[in-house]
Amino acid sequence: MDFLKPNLLLLLTLLPTVAAVLLILAQKFAGAGEEGMRRIALGSTVVIFLLSLPLIGWYDDPALTMNLPWIDAIGARFHLGVDGMSLWLVLLTTLTMPIAVLSGWTSVEKRVREYLVFMLLLETGMIGVFVSMDMILFYLFWEVVLVPMYFLIGVWGGERRIYAAVKFFLYTVVGSLLMLAAMISLYFIHGKATGNYTFDIVVLTKALGSSSILTLETQKWLFLAFALAFMIKVPLFPLHTWLPDAHVEAPTAGSVILAAVLLKMGTYGLMRFNLPLFPEASHYYATPIFVLAVIGIVYGALVAMVQPDVKKLVAYSSVSHLGFVVLGIFSFTDKGLEGALYQMLNHGVSTGALFLFIGFIYERRHTRQISEFGGLATPMPVYSTLFVITCLASAGLPLLNGFVGEFLILLGAFFSTQHVAFTAIAATGMILSAVYLLWMLQRVVFGEVTNPKNAKLQDLNTRELVVIAPLIILMVVMGVAPNLFLDRSHKAVEEVRKVVDKTPAAPAPVESQPTHLGATH
Amino acid sequence: MPYQAPLPREYYALMPEIAVSITGIVIMMYDAFAPKGSRRGAGYIALAGLVAAGVSVAYLWNESIPPAFSGMLLTDKLRLFFDAIFILVAGVSVLMAMQPLDDERLPAGEYFTLLMFATVGMLLMGGAGDLAMLFLGLETLSITTYVMAGYRRGDLRCNESALKYFILGSFSTGFLLYGIALTYGATKSTNFLKIQQAIASGQITYEPLLTIGVAMILIGLCFKVATAPFHVWTPDVYEGAPTMVTGFMAAGPKAAAFAIFARVFVQVFSPDVPNAANLAATWTDAVALIAVLSMIVGNVIAIQQTNIKRMLAYSSIAHAGYALVGVLARDWQSVAFYMLTYAVMNLGAFTIVTILARQGDEKTELDDYAGIGFHSMGLSVVLMIFMLSLGGIPLTAGFMGKLVIFKQGWQAGFHEVVIIGVLNSAVSLYYYLRPLVVMFFKERETPYVPPKVTAPFYAALAISVIAVFYLGMFPNRTLNALEMNNASKDAKAPAAALPAGGVR
Repeated sequence: MDFLKPNLLLLLTLLPTVAAVLLILAQKFAGAGEEGMRRIALGSTVVIFLLSLPLIGWYDDPALTMNLPWIDAIGARFHLGVDGMSLWLVLLTTLTMPIAVLSGWTSVEKRVREYLVFMLLLETGMIGVFVSMDMILFYLFWEVVLVPMYFLIGVWGGERRIYAAVKFFLYTVVGSLLMLAAMISLYFIHGKATGNYTFDIVVLTKALGSSSILTLETQKWLFLAFALAFMIKVPLFPLHTWLPDAHVEAPTAGSVILAAVLLKMGTYGLMRFNLPLFPEASHYYATPIFVLAVIGIVYGALVAMVQPDVKKLVAYSSVSHLGFVVLGIFSFTDKGLEGALYQMLNHGVSTGALFLFIGFIYERRHTRQISEFGGLATPMPVYSTLFVITCLASAGLPLLNGFVGEFLILLGAFFSTQHVAFTAIAATGMILSAVYLLWMLQRVVFGEVTNPKNAKLQDLNTRELVVIAPLIILMVVMGVAPNLFLDRSHKAVEEVRKVVDKTPAAPAPVESQPTHLGATH
Repeated sequence: MPYQAPLPREYYALMPEIAVSITGIVIMMYDAFAPKGSRRGAGYIALAGLVAAGVSVAYLWNESIPPAFSGMLLTDKLRLFFDAIFILVAGVSVLMAMQPLDDERLPAGEYFTLLMFATVGMLLMGGAGDLAMLFLGLETLSITTYVMAGYRRGDLRCNESALKYFILGSFSTGFLLYGIALTYGATKSTNFLKIQQAIASGQITYEPLLTIGVAMILIGLCFKVATAPFHVWTPDVYEGAPTMVTGFMAAGPKAAAFAIFARVFVQVFSPDVPNAANLAATWTDAVALIAVLSMIVGNVIAIQQTNIKRMLAYSSIAHAGYALVGVLARDWQSVAFYMLTYAVMNLGAFTIVTILARQGDEKTELDDYAGIGFHSMGLSVVLMIFMLSLGGIPLTAGFMGKLVIFKQGWQAGFHEVVIIGVLNSAVSLYYYLRPLVVMFFKERETPYVPPKVTAPFYAALAISVIAVFYLGMFPNRTLNALEMNNASKDAKAPAAALPAGGVR
């Protein structure tokens, strides 16, 4: 333990890369075949997941953080840490990876070694983003994530993979480079004011959020530069156009990771940087962002409804769901922010699962057109049952995870200073999501088997059950006992809220405590 | 009795130049007497000479040597850091050229001799403390590179390249020389320190003379570093010249010209010199304009290129634009660091292009790279690393170089230029990703025979790859060696002044 605790974050970040190197060596020198390489990748991602579990107890512990000198001349330090905000995102990443590796066990047949290496490098990047407490380090991981994903889409993707991969890369890069300029600018503004030149996120957040170092005018510019990078990643309407392309073309594992983790990098960035660093600007831009989020919710849902391709349908549903997250973040209320954080996890779990389900039938039928299916419940009862549960979770059925997040967000938005109409329109998003998901289920799962090709489809095999089971269990657990998760992030969320919303929180009525939804009472 | 040095102390300052010159002469002798079969020997001699030069640079690093030869040769961190870059560039260029010279049966002795004398030219440019010395170094470098550019005598493209380079190069030298003459007319000296004193004391014969002189010098240098609008020669020359020469030209002479840029504009005509504020403001405006133009022109035209050498030529124009931001910020350290990062990634990229181009540079179209990603995996992955580095993706040298230079530019208040630069990096990724798309995402339709990669190539690639990652992940030592103007010393420290003394 003495060794593990102070080095855990470094280990988590580096182990995937080490595993990637091992994998190459194993193939070169130990003659490991494709199966062997898959096992190495799966084994290492499982080990990394297990290693990340102690974080639940250790987060916020100063002994966990690692803060080493790195580039003095630039002022960047090697600072890793985890707080209540990033804790669950790290775990979401480490959980998603073994599932993603396992999901491509049989479907990825070409260039297996490279595929697994890119997956592992991707994990390093993603964990790095969530544990970085230095802006330059954060930026470094943020960009590094692009490269493996670019290749996953470009090499193992569908027909229009090249277009999708390049679009994905360029969209993200344009936003993030402006963010880099804003980071540099922050560094000098903060340095000049305090004499302490640093890129340290913790220091900068403490110093800038609750002081008048940044004028509103400066805040506005910097806010926009950061927000652009994050909103492209989220993606917020109208910056979302790369997402459907990337999702549709990516291989199943790529889609799962993209939906479960990569999009969360954007919303995480908004919570980590925009709100605490630029509170006044956040207020200034809250209404336009609310408008965009609400448009995203409704637009995403409407477009999802008319998609003939299941994968595209789920891709657009992401636009809608992530709109909710942004709504929660910019409500500047405890409930809204907690709901947003929770919804990030929910979306990761349930949309990740949806992409897996799509992958399962795609492997069997090599098509994703809704019209090609129908009556899958007859040949594939287990698949259909689980698919329905996941869709209901995604649509926000009470007692499943989606409900908790969306409800908290809507509560938060309702009690925010924004007009009630926004909340009302956003709430229709919940209804619409039920419409497109249930309608899709009706056409895919229920009814008679109309297409003879579907009559003899095999139900889920053991591997597929193992892939999907953890996510289904999580959906139920997160729906029934949200406090297990929310309690741990409460403090971090409240800190952000306190910076951005300086009015003291109204004392909560005794009957309904703000963060307890009664599920555990 | 105190130890009497065998040579006057000033000669020590000249050690790197002496080492490389002797190497050049030795190679000529070797070539005359050695049996014709062994062409590699010349290359190894060149490498040994460069190592000796490197050692002498390392020795000089911690010495404090006053300006030597009546202030002709300055020895300071600027000179020595750039010297290290030149020696590294020359070393990788030697490694890159050994195999192709063998394959194409080109005379190796002459090639390495020319390369050594070109290096001497660059070393002199780095240490120049006088406009005359600067010119001497520049001419030594230019004349040798003209010959190298046309080294494949039977190849028409190669001849065209050499001739274009020669004519436009001479033209630009004319500008530089005229600028030097006018500056001399205005300040009555060619010595940097005396020029500065003349400006400071207001003893300028005729003010516009100096302004025009400086403008001419600026134009001459802009030709040499290939910045827009003085860039038109670059793509043709880069495409026509043998690839190994192109690699050298893009890394070496460009860095040398930037060393002069840093010396002349950052140090000599610095606004910190009394009475120079007007002059400095003028060149700052001009350089800002040139920097922005180069970034935009370089990147936008590079997008349309289908030949990888032309693409890299336009990319080098864009990179010259980024590096100029460091000149604007009056921070030579960031320019030097940028040139180092640019040199390693560019040399690496050109090494791969050399390997894949085969004999006579047959295969340099992007289509020739189609689908090779999984056939020549090692080469493709390494080229990918260099492309991502050129595009400024983190973990690589290219990112650190850009970060340092943009940070210094921002600190000096050139916010608009930095933002344009940042956006340009995004544009540039479009064409840097293209080779990756072609290599990895496309299938190959024609048969492909992987090229033979020999030891010198491996060495060149290993040096470049290690340098790219080392500078990208652990740049601390290098930046500390440069005594980077860290912002935590709040008040902007004046740009390092010229080393004084020794001027008679």
